Amino acid sequence: MPTLATVRLGENDSRYAPGVDPGTVPSPLDLLDLPLTRTALAELTLLAICGGLLGAFVVLRGLAFFAHAVGTATFPAVVVADATGFSATLAGLSAAAAYACGVERAGRSVRDPGDSATGLLLVAALGGGILLASDVFESGAAVDRLLFGTAIGLNGADLALSGAAAALALAATILFGRTWAAVGFDSDAAGALGLPVRRADVLLLGSVALAAVAALPAVGALLVSSLFVVPAAVARLFARDVPALLLGSVAIAACLAVLGLYLSLWLDVPPGPAVAVLGAAAYGMCALLTGLRASTRTPAAGTSW
Amino acid sequence: MDLTDLILDPLRSGIWRRAAAEVVLLGGICGALSFWVTSFRLSYPAESLAHGLLPGLVLAALAGIPLVLGGLGGVALAAGCVALASRDPRIGADSATAVVVTGMFGLGALLALSPDAPPRLEELLFGDPLGITHTDLISALALAVVGAGALAALHRPLCAVAFDAPGAGALGLRPGGVRLALFMLLAVAVAVAVQGLGSLLVLAVLVAPAVAVRRAATNPGVAMLSGAALAAVAGLAGLYASHHLGSAAGASVALALCLAAVAGSVLPWRLRRGEARARRGRRAAA
Amino acid sequence: MTRAPAVEAHGLALGYGGEPALEGVDFEAAPGAALCVLGPNGGGKTTLFRALLGELQPLAGRVRVAGRPAYLAQTERTRLDFPVSALDVALMGSLADGRWWRPPGRSQRHAALAALGRVGLEGQASVRFGELSGGQRQRVLLARALTQDAAVLLLDEPFAGVDPASAERITAVFTELRAEGRTLLVSTHDVESARLFDLVLCLNRRQVAFGTPAQRLGREVLETTYGSDIVVLEGSGDTAVRAITVQHHEH
Ligand SMILES: Nc1ncnc2c1ncn2[C@@H]1O[C@H](COP(=O)(O)OP(=O)(O)O)[C@@H](O)[C@H]1O
Ligand SMILES: [Mg+2]
Repeated sequence: MPTLATVRLGENDSRYAPGVDPGTVPSPLDLLDLPLTRTALAELTLLAICGGLLGAFVVLRGLAFFAHAVGTATFPAVVVADATGFSATLAGLSAAAAYACGVERAGRSVRDPGDSATGLLLVAALGGGILLASDVFESGAAVDRLLFGTAIGLNGADLALSGAAAALALAATILFGRTWAAVGFDSDAAGALGLPVRRADVLLLGSVALAAVAALPAVGALLVSSLFVVPAAVARLFARDVPALLLGSVAIAACLAVLGLYLSLWLDVPPGPAVAVLGAAAYGMCALLTGLRASTRTPAAGTSW
Repeated sequence: MDLTDLILDPLRSGIWRRAAAEVVLLGGICGALSFWVTSFRLSYPAESLAHGLLPGLVLAALAGIPLVLGGLGGVALAAGCVALASRDPRIGADSATAVVVTGMFGLGALLALSPDAPPRLEELLFGDPLGITHTDLISALALAVVGAGALAALHRPLCAVAFDAPGAGALGLRPGGVRLALFMLLAVAVAVAVQGLGSLLVLAVLVAPAVAVRRAATNPGVAMLSGAALAAVAGLAGLYASHHLGSAAGASVALALCLAAVAGSVLPWRLRRGEARARRGRRAAA
Repeated sequence: MTRAPAVEAHGLALGYGGEPALEGVDFEAAPGAALCVLGPNGGGKTTLFRALLGELQPLAGRVRVAGRPAYLAQTERTRLDFPVSALDVALMGSLADGRWWRPPGRSQRHAALAALGRVGLEGQASVRFGELSGGQRQRVLLARALTQDAAVLLLDEPFAGVDPASAERITAVFTELRAEGRTLLVSTHDVESARLFDLVLCLNRRQVAFGTPAQRLGREVLETTYGSDIVVLEGSGDTAVRAITVQHHEH
């Protein structure tokens, strides 16, 4: 009878916030004082920029499921990379690109890439990843970092990738933002106006895939949507036009990221879950404040269930 | 080691026998249910529920109460939040679902990864068929019985609505009510099945069997029965693989199901019980 | 003694939130009558049927139908990838008895097979619905309506996009249904086929005319019903007009 060969997450003693005494409330200045947390702060701010910008279009276009799936799909690849010393970025990028191409090639609308096929792929990615991690490479301790991110294991290369992703997201927003917004509001009308709907979609998918890989080290494979969907969804509650949505979404993403990082140091947990919980709480509060009750009387057209 | 040993060896362990019983029970009912999950395009909602119930599971694990209670509480909360959020017309239903699920899943991870929590998160995420207790087995059995009864009673409305929802409405059925009943059954199934497969992998048993038999089956009854059988067999195969290769049990079961889905949808096979039945009916009419 | 009408509408107005899509509808059809609902695309034929089915609440006025009507929808809204045979689909009609939890009994099976026989598809009973041709699918859906054994049948443009053989078969079934004393409401935008009915109801966002075809299908009514979509070929005044409709655009 072999022992239960699974990984034990969270068992390693090198927790998520060294240099901060566990159990004490860290001063917010610690975020700036410790070199490790300075890196984390810079990383999360850069990710907030690209998550906020691209997230706005993700929400407009209804690509939330894709953003979630593309992060998860990278999991087995980064497990292999992590264990073999191969570049996790390259591995993640190829997995994300393969997934985005697969969705695109499936020839359906990007919003609906075959519901059960996506579900299967997610399960296969997670199952395969965990099997590789626990039984092939026995890289148990790394798995929670890969799934939920880390505030302290970040290095200059991660920072550079996030910087590149943020710059790219900014450039893409300036160049294609108007098209994406038009397609997001009404893809049929945009097609009738002669806008390249399909190419715009492919470009958005590609950017989201790239940015999701950049976000992996900090927020992990499972919680990519905490930066790519949640802040933009909160901003959507207030924003009346696209520029306001973009600005609001970046600002909210930045606030959530910094607060989440602080929370993660304080509670000694990974930053991904912290950002996710803060974001959902912010959404819930704002939705209540802006009158969810008034709007529930007119249910959204086409809600699936 | 010969073949009989390969098959009989794991059966000597009580733990493995319990795992096998759990996998067969869950595979049987969820395999049948999966046909409706794919027919009504409920894979994404099923995934959301499975991820969203994590805090319930973690709290149950921390409090030491049966996980199935935590799962049921978590699934009810997740379904309520998703239903509430997706009624907000300002963001689409799928963005709203993503917000709720991200938040709930994050909360579960937060609770489980906090320094005071016992390190059980991997079990809750990826399942541990080898840690199945008698409570789990009893809840799986109850699910199998109740679920089979519900699926049998709802069979005709489910067929009619999946085939042509407006037409079913004109026949006097309420498509919304039928969908809601299916959704509630799915929620209970998710809450019970996470015991074996964990929050992240439970989707395998709720989608893969139907994908495997979808093209081959010529009618819903055949699809459900063959999905159930296939899920039970693939689940057992996964457990055997895990035993002999020493691999993680939950992930092995999930991957075996995914492999079955790929094989089933690629291989050219066809299940034709409908034909025989129709022929009998024709003869009776003649 | 006059019998209660099988279908009636009085002062009916229907809409989807904005301007009424159809108003001023007033008609009665006695049991056994065959009524043609005539009008251009967007005239409100489907809207009227949805009100008769109870799917759409009237903005004003009222409708009444004797019993639950059987319905053949205009656009096929079925899932072709769903694995059901033609017989399974025909059997769904028996769900209208309200006992949805019971498996279909022997008599319901016979009724479904008989309905398939009437539409000429007894040989295709076990063929998967999605593998049938468009006209055959329309006939299977008609068989589902027949299995329902309703006193009133609503058939929304049943000949649209149907092959000639299927159309002929469907017409024959209509004749049988009338002989059985069932009430038939058939919508169409084809003027010529309307002449074969007992009654005609012309709609163009409001009721233009109601009466027998001989009375009503004159130049003036047709031109009000169809506007510029019609070319009147011969005849004048209210006598035997021949007309063809010109569809600018099919949606
Ligand atoms: N679901 C709907 N929502 C809003 N307007 C509708 C809807 N269905 C039909 N309409 C409008 O109602 C009018 C009548 O449509 P319809 O009854 O489908 O016409 P017909 O069946 O005669 O072609 C049309 O102007 C159409 O645009
Ligand atoms: Mg119509």
